[in-house]
Amino acid sequence: MSSLVRLEVRVSFSYNQKEVLKNVSFSAEEGKLLAIVGPNGAGKSTLLKCLVGILKPKGYAKLNGINLLNLKPKERAKYISYVPQSSYPEFAFTVEEFVELGSYATGGTVEDALKTVGMWERKHELVTKLSGGEYQLVLVARALAQGSNVMLLDEPTSHLDINHALRIMNLLKALKKEKVVVAVMHDLNLALNYADNLLILDKGEVRWIGKPSKLTPEVLEEVYEIKAKITEVDSLKIVTAIE
Amino acid sequence: MKKLIPLLISSVLLILLGIAVGPVRISLSGILASFSLENIKIAFSSPNMLEENAYIILQIRLPRIILAYLVGVSLASAGTASQALFKNPLADPYIIGISGGAAVGASLAALYFPQYMSISALFGAVLAVFTVYKIAKVNGHIPVDTLLLAGIALGFFTSALTSYLLYVRKEGIHNAIFWLMGTFNGSEWDDVKLVLFSSTLGVIFLFFTWKELNLLLLGEESISMGLDINLYRKLIIGVISLLTSFAVATSGIIGFVGLISPHAMRIVFGPNHKRLLPASALFGGSLMVFADILARMLLRPSEIPVGIITALFGAPFFIYLLMKKKRGELLG
Repeated sequence: MSSLVRLEVRVSFSYNQKEVLKNVSFSAEEGKLLAIVGPNGAGKSTLLKCLVGILKPKGYAKLNGINLLNLKPKERAKYISYVPQSSYPEFAFTVEEFVELGSYATGGTVEDALKTVGMWERKHELVTKLSGGEYQLVLVARALAQGSNVMLLDEPTSHLDINHALRIMNLLKALKKEKVVVAVMHDLNLALNYADNLLILDKGEVRWIGKPSKLTPEVLEEVYEIKAKITEVDSLKIVTAIE
Repeated sequence: MKKLIPLLISSVLLILLGIAVGPVRISLSGILASFSLENIKIAFSSPNMLEENAYIILQIRLPRIILAYLVGVSLASAGTASQALFKNPLADPYIIGISGGAAVGASLAALYFPQYMSISALFGAVLAVFTVYKIAKVNGHIPVDTLLLAGIALGFFTSALTSYLLYVRKEGIHNAIFWLMGTFNGSEWDDVKLVLFSSTLGVIFLFFTWKELNLLLLGEESISMGLDINLYRKLIIGVISLLTSFAVATSGIIGFVGLISPHAMRIVFGPNHKRLLPASALFGGSLMVFADILARMLLRPSEIPVGIITALFGAPFFIYLLMKKKRGELLG
């Protein structure tokens, strides 16, 4: 059994002289799903883009000591994969061809990836013909085909119906057993109930980090500027905004 | 790959047809006799000693048809690569101004240093593609409207420059006009050698980078999958410029082949460059030979610049694509 995989991050990023991420620092590890939440424009997507090399931040993202930010793209892709925010696919690849794109750097197996998300039987279909939920599963499979130790996901459940949203969350629950999984989440309730750790990002800064059970209405009020209450029904946590 | 066989067969048939037809009628036996071992030997040593029919076949029609095929292959491959590079199915070396840049380079060379026409065209093409890329890029994306506008603006500018350069040269205006509209008239074996070099180099490079071309379709996202996007963008810009500029230097400005070929083939083969590239290259070659046959036959015994034929077919096709794009149907 290899030692626990652990990702340690400390990054700052400026765009047009404006500091978008201010010394954002956190750690994530195998076995625990980290959800990043926060208001629109908090810098959540920017943070993920910095970690996978699309943007060039200052700082580090160390995976068991190796700074991923210093690696060349092909080398970095072996350690970290990324599921971008779902947009409508522009080119009519088959499901299999599309997932194969993920195996570029590592030569990972497409079959295993598609079987994990339950889309192997549909490998010959065109991605442009899939529903939003199915396409999201294929996007996850593409990242899985990279065979990396870390997977970052940008709002994997937004625009999905409840069935597909839960399917994705259960998939992440299974994946965290063998990977560091970090997901930017739009839906606070899904994040509260599925994540092991919660990070609240606001205006490019970490405002709160901890276990979902420790989150208080006061923190939400401060960050989202709403009055909220957190209730628990059958061990299910529900955030409701109150006037 | 079985689907490629009809394309191969049509390539061969069109090349044979291209050799068979022309203003001078030569019987089938006359054509076959031209390919005798003896004639081929003479063609290599002292082609002027060939008897008339053999001269027409081996020194006029054959280099012309082979050049047309190779230019078609070059432009179709450059078009396919441009569409991946710009993530845009309306990109084509002609529409985005690369051909125009190459034309300025070539006509500048024709005026001052005629022996360096291809290299000068290459330089013009690289400059043009970088310019369009810089102008059209908005927040890391290349939207259709800025791409087309940048291409059109550069196209006007380069076309004015080219016309001026041809005007001050004064001699051979008729030839200059033909060259501006694209023609294979007067093609020689030396032209074939040049384009054989550029197309072999360019096409082989593209075949080896089919995975990278697929990834480029995803844009910046592909970095997370391990693509060194800046490196490959530069390399592919270089290859598109090489393919386009050598084609322009030998046969002038021929539009739309680079647009139509990848499009037609994407409908049959899908967007995967592993199949799209060879299909598009074979289709482009055939299309160009077909267009050249029409260019020679429609107003026999005189001929029309082949660029007029490709534009007459290509421009309506382009409008059709734009309308599809408008309705949001334009997908790979």
